[in-house]
Amino acid sequence: MSTDLSHFQDAFFEESADHLATMEGGLLNLEQHPDDLDLLNRIFRAAHSIKGNSGMFGFTAVGQFTHKMETLLDRLRNGQLSVTPAIADVLLRSTDCLSSLLEAARGGAAPDPETIAKLEEELASASGAQASPAEPGQGPASVQSGVNQAGGGRHFRIRWTPPSWLFQRGLDPIQMIKELEDLGTLVSRTLDLSGLPAFDVLDSECCYLSWIFDLETTKDKSVVESVFDFVKDEGTLTISESTVSSCEFQVSSSIPKCETSNSKQETSGDEPKPLGEILVETGVVSRETLDHALSQQKRVGEILIEQHAATPQQISQALQKQQESAIHAKKGADTASIRVDTAKIDKLINLVGELVITQSMLSDLSVRFEMSQLAVLLERVAQLERNTREIQERVMGIRMLPIGSAFSRFPRLVRDLSGKSGKKIQLVLSGEETELDKTVIESIGDPLTHLVRNSADHGLEPPDERLANDKPELGTIRLNAFHEGGSICITVEDDGRGLNRDKILAKAIKSGLVSEQEKLTDDQIWPLIFKPGFSTAEKVTDVSGRGVGMDVVKRNIEALGGTVSIKTALGTGTIFTLKLPLTLAIIEGMTVRVGSDTYIVPLLSILESIQPKAEAIKTLVGKGELINVRGTYLPMMRMYEAFSLQPEYTEPTKAILLILETEGERVAVMVDEILGQQQVVIKSMEQNFRKVDGVAGATILGDGTVGFILDVRGLLEIARREIPVAA
Amino acid sequence: MAAATLETATKELNQQIGLTTDGSQFLTFQLGEELYGVDILRVQEIKGYTAVTKIPNTPSHIKGVLNLRGTIVPIVELRTKFGMPTIEYTMFTVIVVVVVKEKIMGLVVDAVSDVLNIDKKDIQPPPQFGAKVDVSFLNGIGKSGEKLIALLDMDKLLSDGDLQDAAAAVAA
Repeated sequence: MSTDLSHFQDAFFEESADHLATMEGGLLNLEQHPDDLDLLNRIFRAAHSIKGNSGMFGFTAVGQFTHKMETLLDRLRNGQLSVTPAIADVLLRSTDCLSSLLEAARGGAAPDPETIAKLEEELASASGAQASPAEPGQGPASVQSGVNQAGGGRHFRIRWTPPSWLFQRGLDPIQMIKELEDLGTLVSRTLDLSGLPAFDVLDSECCYLSWIFDLETTKDKSVVESVFDFVKDEGTLTISESTVSSCEFQVSSSIPKCETSNSKQETSGDEPKPLGEILVETGVVSRETLDHALSQQKRVGEILIEQHAATPQQISQALQKQQESAIHAKKGADTASIRVDTAKIDKLINLVGELVITQSMLSDLSVRFEMSQLAVLLERVAQLERNTREIQERVMGIRMLPIGSAFSRFPRLVRDLSGKSGKKIQLVLSGEETELDKTVIESIGDPLTHLVRNSADHGLEPPDERLANDKPELGTIRLNAFHEGGSICITVEDDGRGLNRDKILAKAIKSGLVSEQEKLTDDQIWPLIFKPGFSTAEKVTDVSGRGVGMDVVKRNIEALGGTVSIKTALGTGTIFTLKLPLTLAIIEGMTVRVGSDTYIVPLLSILESIQPKAEAIKTLVGKGELINVRGTYLPMMRMYEAFSLQPEYTEPTKAILLILETEGERVAVMVDEILGQQQVVIKSMEQNFRKVDGVAGATILGDGTVGFILDVRGLLEIARREIPVAA
Repeated sequence: MAAATLETATKELNQQIGLTTDGSQFLTFQLGEELYGVDILRVQEIKGYTAVTKIPNTPSHIKGVLNLRGTIVPIVELRTKFGMPTIEYTMFTVIVVVVVKEKIMGLVVDAVSDVLNIDKKDIQPPPQFGAKVDVSFLNGIGKSGEKLIALLDMDKLLSDGDLQDAAAAVAA
């Protein structure tokens, strides 16, 4: 069965991710507007969809957990409970747990069963303990259908194997289950299919199923028994009362699973319990003692630092590697599908229709063409050109998604950060509708998270400090996105303390990044915070301060062909601006000529171009050439040497020098001539050939020939590695 | 009865035009005075020679890359690859576009000559010259009348480090 459904599973996961996002967004909103019933209903529907669908695919763990959330949500919806921050918090953490359960069902790492059990307990107690006092504990009112009874009282484990004639007498097990639900909270339901015979001997009128229920109720055992009155003479029914309810999740999952359940979950259920958990269960230690002991546990990194086995830098580098590989692994699991607005597709189809018409008009014209019709021909060709261009734009547009999807994770993040740090933070989002390429959106999530964390942790001051400085207690982080030129700008702005020039400089001098004599302008100082291992934070929190992060931000953004810039004022705040290309498929480039070859230099890496004077060029040890650009000596390299080309000029004074920057390094590259600026479509060299050093990719030039896009970094490496074989 | 007649007729016709259904078909081309053949199923198209873009820092037998309807295709100069002297390109110079391990590449040859059927019995294993002449990229030699055709093993010929998988070697 599972094989038949497997190709729907991806759709399920995608849909569940959407539902989860709805739930999370809704819950965050709900905290602000606890009385919004629409919102509650929306959250409930999302949870319900996940529950229903997960049941269909046999992800029982997901279904069971969602059911518990749903119970609580239902009570909120019915007005039996009201939304409190505590409840919202439990629900939010449950959404996280649910998302990791879903990840596990997909083949990811299984979440900690202890966390799940704990959350389930919290959910149950939130739905039970705070039930409105008006609710009667016992009596006729308790048989009302639909409404779950407050649990809490007693816990029954019911094993029921109905007689095989169950269906023949017109009895429906669902009816029994419903009745049980009316008695209290049905904590778990497990269907045992082990009695099912092979298909060829199966009698469709016989019942081979059996169930195990966990019921929490305030009723007596006899009341529970009465549910099974009609069937108790035959079949087997055992009702046992247990007092321990905290470990029920574990117990129920160790029951032989029904055949339909997913094999991955079975293994997670069979995992050995943590030692602490066993100790608590057997009564050796109390849960409080265990929790306390666990909180004393240190991370390996911290222990190593204490024992001087490793320096903090080494640890943080290792941590960074770990993070990166985790990110990598996550990316690999992503499906490559994309959701497209139907309107976009309709428009595209219209355009293709127009294209076909234009094409047929043209071919019609070409059959009986006379010179007198030249004007018509030109007009049609122009129309074809218009059509083509528009289709190109629209097709690129399919890959464009609103950036809102990348922003959506931040309300939650800021809320958690605010809770952790004790600062009051509000997040203002704008420009969510700004569209950019899907691949770019996927890659900016992590850099943005780093920046927002950084703003919350380092940027914004604690409330008392803010009040002392005549600032509102509530700190603000603004995320904004907008188009500017051919690129997109994303700003992360905070109204915190701003970057401290002296502190950064002192730290930089201490760590040897700059010398004391150097006179640096502000614009030269701010980028120092992007250096690996650079942090001015006095204490390392688990949010940030390890000096890992900002350099990753810069590296990731540069990998996307973008730039990061900082604007800051002491005491009033900091603005980080990320400038990114709209798409990775097209870049803005400068076409340059070396001899008869044309190369495209990415515009982003060009700072300026100059024609040097003879006296500006100096040599070192006879070979290494330096060029004086307004007082700074930059290494100069001749592109024809690195690429073994035949140049027109070998004399720098006749040629053009491009001042290029890559990863903070500047270099002057000598070319014959600048031809112009144009947008080029990047084509893969690896598809039919292989990676070529110094070449980032290829493109088709206006005349139909191939031009290479320069990889500045690679070019530098070639020049450094060797003296290339002379052409 | 009618079907049998048709079958015989088809066979006769096929023999007349030199097409057989068993054995293999080869596209043959010239390099100097020599004839070479490639399995016809490997050939995607044949196109006239157009200027290519030289790739920096690559061995000389890799002529460059070409824009083949939007795809970047590397072009190999077979003469240089085999260590034969280069000649001026003529109007007969063509690029044979072949598919090797899902990659498309072009071979510059002096001229294409024919599509030939070569029976299995007319193919003999490549001769051994020792270290003097490298013929490891030959599948065998085929006979067709008086002609001798060197049959190229595309996978061996074009799978050397210069063309592909070098990225893996660089990364390692």
